Amino acid sequence: MSQQPAPPPPYRPYRQVRTATPHSRAVSCVRFSPCGRVLATASLDGTIALLSPSSLAVIAVLRGHTDGVSDLSWSTDSFYLCSASDDRTIRIWDIRSVLAGGAQADPGADRCVRVLRGHTNFVFTANFNPQTSSQIASGGFDCTVRIWDAKSGRCARTIDAHSEPVTSVHFIRDGSIIVSGSHDGSCKIWDAKTGACLKTVIDDKKPAVSFAMFSPNGKFILVAALDDSLKLCNFATGKFLKVYGGHVNRVYCIQSAFSVTNGKYIVSGSEDNCVYIWDLQGRNILQKLEGHTDTVISVSCHPTENKIASGGLDNDKTLRLWVQDS
Amino acid sequence: MNAPIVDPYQGEFPETIEEYLHHGTMKCIAFNRTGTLLAAGCSNGSCVIWDFETRGLAREFCDKDCTAPITSVSWSKYGHRLLASATDKSLTLWDVSTGEKIARITLQQTPLRASLQPGSPTPSICLACPLSSAPLLVDLNTGSTTVLPVSVSENGNPPAPNPRNKFADGTPPFTPTAATFDKHGDLIYVGNSKGEILIVDSKSIQVHAVILIPGGTVVKDIVLSRDGQYLLTNSNDRVIRVYKNILPVKSSREEIRNISTNCNDYASHYDKLKANGASCLILSCELSDAISKIQWKAPCFSGNGEWILGASANKGEHRLQIWNQAGRLVKILEGPKEALIDLAWHPVEPTIVTVSVTGYVYIWAKEHVENWSAFAPDFVELEENEEYVEREDEFDLNPREEMAEELEIDENAYVDIETYEKNAMFSDVEDSVAEITFLPAIPSPDAPDEQPEKCLGSSSKLEDSNHSGSPSSMDAVQNGQTIPPASSPMEVDNSTAEDPAEGPNSKRKRRLSVKGLEMQQSEKGKKPGTKNKSNGKSTKFSAKQMESANGNSSAFDDEATEDDEVNIDC
Repeated sequence: MSQQPAPPPPYRPYRQVRTATPHSRAVSCVRFSPCGRVLATASLDGTIALLSPSSLAVIAVLRGHTDGVSDLSWSTDSFYLCSASDDRTIRIWDIRSVLAGGAQADPGADRCVRVLRGHTNFVFTANFNPQTSSQIASGGFDCTVRIWDAKSGRCARTIDAHSEPVTSVHFIRDGSIIVSGSHDGSCKIWDAKTGACLKTVIDDKKPAVSFAMFSPNGKFILVAALDDSLKLCNFATGKFLKVYGGHVNRVYCIQSAFSVTNGKYIVSGSEDNCVYIWDLQGRNILQKLEGHTDTVISVSCHPTENKIASGGLDNDKTLRLWVQDS
Repeated sequence: MNAPIVDPYQGEFPETIEEYLHHGTMKCIAFNRTGTLLAAGCSNGSCVIWDFETRGLAREFCDKDCTAPITSVSWSKYGHRLLASATDKSLTLWDVSTGEKIARITLQQTPLRASLQPGSPTPSICLACPLSSAPLLVDLNTGSTTVLPVSVSENGNPPAPNPRNKFADGTPPFTPTAATFDKHGDLIYVGNSKGEILIVDSKSIQVHAVILIPGGTVVKDIVLSRDGQYLLTNSNDRVIRVYKNILPVKSSREEIRNISTNCNDYASHYDKLKANGASCLILSCELSDAISKIQWKAPCFSGNGEWILGASANKGEHRLQIWNQAGRLVKILEGPKEALIDLAWHPVEPTIVTVSVTGYVYIWAKEHVENWSAFAPDFVELEENEEYVEREDEFDLNPREEMAEELEIDENAYVDIETYEKNAMFSDVEDSVAEITFLPAIPSPDAPDEQPEKCLGSSSKLEDSNHSGSPSSMDAVQNGQTIPPASSPMEVDNSTAEDPAEGPNSKRKRRLSVKGLEMQQSEKGKKPGTKNKSNGKSTKFSAKQMESANGNSSAFDDEATEDDEVNIDC
């Protein structure tokens, strides 16, 4: 902490303000839209719910997947949402009418504009290219990373990326490279254009890499492994800069998040039913949010407000909204 | 941003056709400033924009008024506007983000080339080079035109005050005259039929300097490098000449005015202009094909200005030559047997895009070589065997060095996860202007008959698979022409059922690269009809391609001659 330019403001705790149960089974993913006006949640019941980020009222339900949905990603303009499902497809949903009409939008309308077929097993993760939003990267249990042209729905590239299921793919902010993590314990960086492997950041057989994402500025990656660890890594050198611990993560691919709207935090779910908030620089646990009654599988931070959404697995099924006191 | 892990020495030249784009019949192309979008003008009067990252069609601009073949396309500096010139003598300005037509102007003559003034983000002035008159500055808002001077009389008189009088002063009929803006649009370089480069002030339309080109033949093209440091001319004497621009890139107009007003003790005005010219451009090298002495087509600089690219203007030849700044030939690229009509070098990447008379756009890129050490972080690739020298403590139980390494990382060090640097490659971007680098994709709805599992397979397999078939064969199928007998029904199925989702007429295909091209080279001497069964599909591909090219040759040749004659002599 001594090198930090300005002392951090005193930590103001988050508290639970809302809870909702939009799905009949476990919540698998929660994602605020980049515009901050919609919260999307995915569930093992195969549906996707669009909710108001303040009241958690359901605005629309997206039906179409025939099996559980594991991951969601918004296009940068918040116009489209893509979902990765165990039915081996990725679907692209048009959210424009929801953004335009707000609560008046027809909740049951079929908003699916495209089905991306090609994965030969469960699709576990999908991510929009933040620059063009015409490109989607996906990964799944067929151990491949695929790059799709969102406009035509064509699979532009298939990369035999890993030897075990791919747990996460994430584009860097300029869309030039992709990070992927896998159950084979490795974390690799790919050239989004050519599909070439540029770097193997982690090359261990164990533990499985359950989650990997770029930092907001694209200089670091946040990597979670199934040995209760969450690390900030300089992907150019492969060195771990910060290690965040104290939570439990042995089984599930828990999605973490960077919180940058107030202080700089790392937020993650945990298998002890809590949401953990660490200080980015100091690595100390700032807060444990208690309330869920099962593993917290996914968290998302609102793009502009000091708000965290979290979702719990089957014994809980709830979506919870946490707000920082002002 | 990804700079630390991208190998900077990954090579400078494209090597092979990586992919081709197909949408209607494309005639001319232009990259936007950052190379993320590629605009193309089509023979049906429409303009298309390709997302060069995904190689997908991003936009199509068409209008009931625009039906004549496009002769050139030009981007405004930050990609907000696209100007298209067409054979119906029109200039059309499109708003890139909305797809609306902003202006349409009809000139007296067909503009062969039109470029927007590079200085302004939303330019209204463009430079048009018509078929048979002097270059014009056209105000797209008002439609007013200003004719640029194309010659300076040598008898010592100053140039005619009103350049419009040029038509009457007994000069020979105008040939198409090449002209280009300088980097910021302050000056215009005009290459005339006498083999002179005139430097004209874009505001006062005054000739400031003259540079005589050795040989003194008609200048067909005049092109500035992306950074504005170099200028090249393509003359009718089959030589490309590269000039170093010694005027400052910024405030070049002030500088040249200073030069012009400085000394006045010359025998004639013309001598003075020549003297001025000597302090503007310096000839740095001459490029030509010493053996076959071919005419050049559409020469240009690479994005970094280090290489010069020229294409053979011969019919039925798709051949590119790359020289370095010292004038040494460094690479020859040979493509399909189709004449080349336009080309562009990507602003930052070692990628070249060429347009063939068939209307296909070919993308030439570096061959992707797998960097195996990327897969194993502890491994280093060696060029040759090396003797391994064991470290002193290598087999110690407690190696000292590793312990030292562990200590290197200070977990308390401050990390910044938010700030990022702008790409240094494009340092001239003004922050106030929001550049359009990508067009938001609108996913087109699923086609009802879409086949499931439509995936092109793994990338490595794609490289040598010729699943995509030959573009020409597809062309033939699409034009409703009979399929050459050499093609098997299976292949036809392949090409028609290629990708129903992409829309009826736009295609983007990965081509067989090395193998296919090699095969094609080896097939060159053979008659189109011959087919070597043992070589399998690749042979079929090239044989078929030649055949269909031959089958359509009359139509293509007509097009080619039309273009060629315009640019070579008239």
